[in-house]
Amino acid sequence: MSATIYLHEFRTRLRSVIVWSLSLAVMIFIFYSIFPAFSSQAAAINDALSKFPPALLAAFGMGQVDMSSVLGFYSFIFLFAQVCLAIQAGNYGFGLVSVEETELTADFLVSKPVSRMQIMDSKLLAAFTSLTITNLVVWASTFISIHLFKGSRTYDLNALLLLLASIVIFQLFFLSLGLVISLLVRRVRSVTPYSLALGFGMYLLAAFSGLEGVSNLELITAFKHFDPNYIIQHQAYDTPLVLLNAAVTVVCLVAAYLLYVRRDIPAVS
Amino acid sequence: MNIFLRELKANLKSLIIWCVVIGLFILVGVAKFSAYYNNPEMLSILNSLPASVVDAMSLRAFNLTTLNGFYGIMFIYFALLGGIAATMWGSDIISKEERDKTVEFSLVLPVTRTRVLTAKALAALVNCIVLMLVSAVVSIGVAQRYNPDQSFYNFLVLEMGAMMIIELIFLAVGLLLGSSMKQYKRASSLGIAIILVTYFLSIITVLKQNLDFLKYFTPFKYFDSAQLFKDGRIEPGYLLLSLGIIVVCIFLAYRTYERRDLYI
Repeated sequence: MSATIYLHEFRTRLRSVIVWSLSLAVMIFIFYSIFPAFSSQAAAINDALSKFPPALLAAFGMGQVDMSSVLGFYSFIFLFAQVCLAIQAGNYGFGLVSVEETELTADFLVSKPVSRMQIMDSKLLAAFTSLTITNLVVWASTFISIHLFKGSRTYDLNALLLLLASIVIFQLFFLSLGLVISLLVRRVRSVTPYSLALGFGMYLLAAFSGLEGVSNLELITAFKHFDPNYIIQHQAYDTPLVLLNAAVTVVCLVAAYLLYVRRDIPAVS
Repeated sequence: MNIFLRELKANLKSLIIWCVVIGLFILVGVAKFSAYYNNPEMLSILNSLPASVVDAMSLRAFNLTTLNGFYGIMFIYFALLGGIAATMWGSDIISKEERDKTVEFSLVLPVTRTRVLTAKALAALVNCIVLMLVSAVVSIGVAQRYNPDQSFYNFLVLEMGAMMIIELIFLAVGLLLGSSMKQYKRASSLGIAIILVTYFLSIITVLKQNLDFLKYFTPFKYFDSAQLFKDGRIEPGYLLLSLGIIVVCIFLAYRTYERRDLYI
């Protein structure tokens, strides 16, 4: 672990972290500010929602959960927060080491007197720190929004804590998956199409598997591993799926180290 | 012409990936649809409702027991995938020159910047059209199993038209981002921001009635598949609005690209 690399990585990402964190906080706040109006007219809402077919509601995660409850409404918002978190973590993962090659600084970096393991350690830790800042901002904005808008309604704190605690595993999943994909392809030209495809693709798959019918899409998409509706309803994680998710993360991280240590770094002439 | 062909070739891989993705999406969707098709339970619920209620709740458009209803629900996915692809193509086709450090080379060629931009925009446009055609062809292909009638084809044509317009809007926005952002990295970051914000807006408008005016800010709401199904045409007001956005964005893209200071 090299403090210089860590600090440099952290600093270059700081702006992006601030923008993502603020956008997430604002999004949660704005979405939740609708809650008082939304829940006080439950009848009108049920009427409005019934305009949509159940399959469509299920696709948006509005099927089983009572949207007029504090956490029911929050779990609906949380899905969208997850989309943003996935794209952010995917961005950092895809860019973690590939950015050196696109910006032609890779040979400069590996010629420094630090091992590749150390480079990877510092970079991963810096990315994880950045993601944790965003994570904390989401926690804070969640509690602030809920307390401002919940009025006299009560909610189950345990379920909410469980839901928020899932963020860190979720972020690590996309970080390590992005990292390993970026090391498997020959060259990452631009990070965003990759992370957008990974984040949005998995979200759409999850939305799709809400429709009934035969499919095991739950297994592939991380959004189903941490389905907010499930966590709120059962006050527990879907343990096998979460374990699967964590296992994928660990395998990806190990593979990323192995791949990076052996990677052929192109020299810039 | 050379630039146009070169760009088509450079974007071919991305185009193929998007076509495969959208094709797979339709196939997975149809696999799910087969569970609903002529499902007696759902049919009996629908039949028990009075006709006026069915119309008011646009259940006919979203009636999952029919092919048309299924495609009514698929529309938002077409729109989203098309929108994302078009934004990425639009901004990337311009900003990649600076990212790959080839921009000095391409701008010293004996062609004006206007022609460069036109060739690039046309190449991206061809990609969008191909993506739309692939979704149409795959849709028609998988629909054959369910003996589609004329109304299905009419509806599909409408949906694909609406998808094309959404693609064009996002393509124009992407081109504008690519040519107006000083740093190439900002173009794609802002692209993500625009997609996420417009998508979230399209959901928020449903939640609260007095936020209805927000639907003018999100192209995903311009073409509601229930409305398309009921009216059998694209609403002219939104068509004009879309056209306005496209023209303004393209105009600004040309203007800024002509005066662009290169980021090297």
